[in-house]
This record gives sequence, C-alpha cells and structure tokens, in this order.
Amino acid sequence: MNLKDPKHPWTRLTAAARTVVDDRDPAAPYGFATRLSAIAFTQERTMTSLLERFALRAVGVACLLTMTTIATNYSVVTNLFAEREETPLTTTDDPVGEIVDVASS
Amino acid sequence: MPDDAPPLDLAGCLARVRQRDQAAARELVEHLHPLVIRIVRSHLPRRVAEEDLTQEIFLKMFTRLEQYQGAVPFPHWVSRIAVTTCIDHLRAQKRRPEFRWADLSETEAEVLDNVITNENDVPANDAMAAHELVHKLLDQLKPDDQLVIRLLDLQQKSIAEIAQLTGWNQSLIKVRAFRARRKLQKLFQELQKKERS
Repeated sequence: MNLKDPKHPWTRLTAAARTVVDDRDPAAPYGFATRLSAIAFTQERTMTSLLERFALRAVGVACLLTMTTIATNYSVVTNLFAEREETPLTTTDDPVGEIVDVASS
Repeated sequence: MPDDAPPLDLAGCLARVRQRDQAAARELVEHLHPLVIRIVRSHLPRRVAEEDLTQEIFLKMFTRLEQYQGAVPFPHWVSRIAVTTCIDHLRAQKRRPEFRWADLSETEAEVLDNVITNENDVPANDAMAAHELVHKLLDQLKPDDQLVIRLLDLQQKSIAEIAQLTGWNQSLIKVRAFRARRKLQKLFQELQKKERS
C-alpha cells in the first residue's frame, strides 16, 4: 500500500492530526517585543563599537610597529647606503665590470 | 494584537526600524509574532523552548534587515528565516532512538494498533493522540525529510510553496519527500510485523 493511499495508516493518522486545532495564543508574550527590540539595537551598537575600537587599535599597533622597525633598523639602513657610496659602481666579480674598469683606467 | 487595531504600514514601519526607532521595532515584532510562532510550533525541535527560538529568529531578522531588498513580501522573507532557523536546530539535535511500542502512551498505542489492523478513520476524540503519534514517527526521519513531510502532509503545502519557504529547489524537495515516505513505509511494515508477532 502506498503512503498516499487514503487507506494507508499514515494518511489516516495525518488526516486526524490535521484536525487538531492549536488554541494557544499566537500573540507575543507581554514585554517580549520591548525586550527583543532593546536586545536587537544594543547588539547592533555593540558590534559597531567593537569594530571601531578594533580598527583604531589596529591603526595604533601598525604605527607603533612602523616606528619600532624604523628605530631598530635605522643604523643598518644608513650603513647600507654608506657602503654603497664607498663601493665602486662595478665590481671585479663581474666580467663586464672588469672590462668597463679597464676601459675607464 | 487586538482585532480593531489599524493595519500596520509595513513599509513605513521598516523604514523607521532602519532608522533605529525602537517603537517601530516593537510594532514589527508584535505584528509578525503570530506568523513566526506558528512556524516555530509546527517545527519545534525537542528540548528547545519556543520563546528562545522565536527570539533567535527575530534577532536574525533585525541583523539581516539591511539585506532585505523587497523582492518578496516581507512576511515571506521572515518565514524563510524562521524555517531555516528551525532546520538548523533540528539538524543539531540528536536523532531519537528506534521507535518502540513501549514508548507510546496507552491511547497512542491504541490508535496505532487501530490504524494498522483496520481501515477505519481515526475517531475525532483520538485526534490529539494521532497528532502526537505522527510527530513521534516523524522524529525517526532525517531533519530535512521531517520538514518536507510536515509541510506536505500536515500543512498540505505544495512543492512550489515549500521551495519558496526553504529555498531548496523543487527536485530536491521531491527527492526528500520520496526518501522520507520510503522510510515511513518501512517503519509501518516493521510495526505491522511486530503487531502480528
């Protein structure tokens, strides 16, 4: 017997179940809407302020990291530039450089 | 909501809610509560309080309000949130152990025995027992299949209406309905065998 058959036990059970009327009140319980709207708006505001706070903190941390990096690596960077100024434009390791050096001397 | 209350201007109310008007939000909740509670009560998972689930649905509605573009009527949009939230809870709950005669109340066992052994309709005074029995039998199905059968056989919705409510495509709903009916059919066959033995 098919489940869609009107004589099938399932069909008869569901037909009877459908006759049950839910007489519970569908209206919102007292204070439910007020509480809910308050929670909804508070939640929204908390999320926004959290985002703002985290964004500001992120900017602060990024600035601090940049300053620290510059401070700790300042001497290394200046030395590097100084070394570059001292070294000739061409090196002896480079065969093309050697030819240029020979030609210029 | 009293019957003599003027009809709610939904568009205006939504606009005010978007401007964070708490009174409008209250009005909206009160207006939509009967719709949401009906869905919650028909798909309420075990061990979940209906008020908690209703609150969760409304909070989702407020959070996603900016996403509502007006492509479907607002109550339909909220209904879909309600149905999908119920599905999520149904999926999260553990499946009930095997269906047993011993777990039924005396009236439920009697009603089941009657529908299995004869072809008479269930008497009107046993409708509540039949209702409970149907829900216990549905608990044996997978959550998605349960939902489809509840909507098809109890609420007598069409496949197109279920597709609109759940967001599933019609072929998937038909597959789920077929799978659920096959499982129920098997369950009835087992119950009949047990009844005979």
